[in-house]
Amino acid sequence: MTLLQLKDVSRRFGGVVAVNNIGLSIEKNEIVGLMGANGAGKTTLFSLIAGNLPPSAGEILFDDQRIDGLRADQISRLGVARTFQIVRPFSGLTVLENVTISALFGSSRTKSMVSATNIAREVLEEVGLTNRAGDYASALTLSGRKRLEIARALATNPKLLMLDEVMAGLTATEGAEAVAMIRRFQETRNLTVIVVEHVMGILMDLCPRIVVLHHGALIAEGSPQDVANDSRVIDSYLGTR
Amino acid sequence: MSRYNRCLALPTLVGSITLLAAVPLYGSDYITGVALTLLMWLALTQSWVVFSAMTGYISLGHAVFFGAGAYVMVLTFGVLPFWISVIVAGAASGVLALLVGYPCLRVRGPYFVILTFGLAELVKYIVINVEAALGKFGRLLMGAPSLDQLFWVILGLAIISTLITYTVRRSRFGAGLRAIRENEGAAETVGINVARFKVLAFALSAIIPGMVGSVVVLRTTYFEPLDVFNPITSFTIVSMAIIGGGDDVPGPVYGACFLVLLQELLWANWPEIYMILLGTFLVTFVLRAPDGIQGRLAAIRRKIAR
Repeated sequence: MTLLQLKDVSRRFGGVVAVNNIGLSIEKNEIVGLMGANGAGKTTLFSLIAGNLPPSAGEILFDDQRIDGLRADQISRLGVARTFQIVRPFSGLTVLENVTISALFGSSRTKSMVSATNIAREVLEEVGLTNRAGDYASALTLSGRKRLEIARALATNPKLLMLDEVMAGLTATEGAEAVAMIRRFQETRNLTVIVVEHVMGILMDLCPRIVVLHHGALIAEGSPQDVANDSRVIDSYLGTR
Repeated sequence: MSRYNRCLALPTLVGSITLLAAVPLYGSDYITGVALTLLMWLALTQSWVVFSAMTGYISLGHAVFFGAGAYVMVLTFGVLPFWISVIVAGAASGVLALLVGYPCLRVRGPYFVILTFGLAELVKYIVINVEAALGKFGRLLMGAPSLDQLFWVILGLAIISTLITYTVRRSRFGAGLRAIRENEGAAETVGINVARFKVLAFALSAIIPGMVGSVVVLRTTYFEPLDVFNPITSFTIVSMAIIGGGDDVPGPVYGACFLVLLQELLWANWPEIYMILLGTFLVTFVLRAPDGIQGRLAAIRRKIAR
């Protein structure tokens, strides 16, 4: 069953075409990798789906419902969550408060403060931030803040989770832990996940299907092997000979 | 908060409210007047905190709600019963905030600050011109309720505004507002309708100042637009909130007590020194203790606990 469908989606910034005519469909419970060099349009694509930016053209369907043109908070309520590559914690609030707020809104829309706090504690346990619950978000290290981004997205109780470079800058061991963590909550929560990552090994390992963007256009999609051997992909990364 | 503190909190609260409510019975008119002034600033600052301290959108125009409430009282004085006028004044200020909030709350930071200030001045001069066109230059308000009665109404408003701050700070609504303050884009992405939250908080924070304005104008028994729309009112509210600190109930209590006390001590004999000291305190707090008296006290308490 298709959860997310993009039809000829484009986004222009003045003369620059950041996302160019992308057509893509993502099945329920899939983990899809999104790959591409810097400036390929990956983050812009997330912003279009999450409603942080309106598309200049095209249609986006989520659960068979048009979501392009909706506000970010409306899309969040339908069950779409994203993390930010450049992290955006609620710095002046505690880690627990950060996640509790997500549980109060998003598609969980918990009415009571107590049950929202309980949900937040469970999610912090899931991402391994329990011992930092009482600290201010500003006191976390970068990898802690990336975990907080994931926790905040999870606490909204999404159907679709978009992870924007949450593993960048992690060591190999931390990366492997993160992969295991994403697999775990994908299974327990029946999530559909789109992952943007620069660490190719991780992406190949985690995602049965990979989509490659180049200068805003979709140039290849398929299994990790197919994509790795695709001449257009190799050219886009290494340049043409 | 320790269990001991929590047990003490309620009796202390009830005790101090009773003591305050009895001020007109045992105090002189002077004492009642000072207490009224203190409670008035407390109500205004609590209301300001609900919007500005929680969302981070600093309003430098809250005098406009105070003034609008006063103007409603003046227009309906002798026509409507006192109570009805107070409620209409609050409603009018809330509606005014809804109307101006929608366009104003699209801009952030210094732009919003200047916009609220400019808006308050705009409304002030509209009222001045309307009054001039009507041929009125200041109005006398004869037969106003006594000082004691006004005091009790203001006490009620101070209690209500404190309860509003307390409730909002611990509610889902307040959580949304604080998220907006910390990062508006992230707040929207976790599902908070930021435009609606901001406008509702702005309107909520305008109602009590409108009611306070409508009551306080009767204390002077004279209406003068330049007085009730005085931007000093806005500055004082912001100063009290900054010196008090934080986005919860204690900040405005500390800030209002501190500045009203300072003013009473210095105003009569050394008014120039009061302004100099106020400026010095503001600069010191902003630079050295942006979390205000409340934040400093909390830090001391943490140190003792350790």
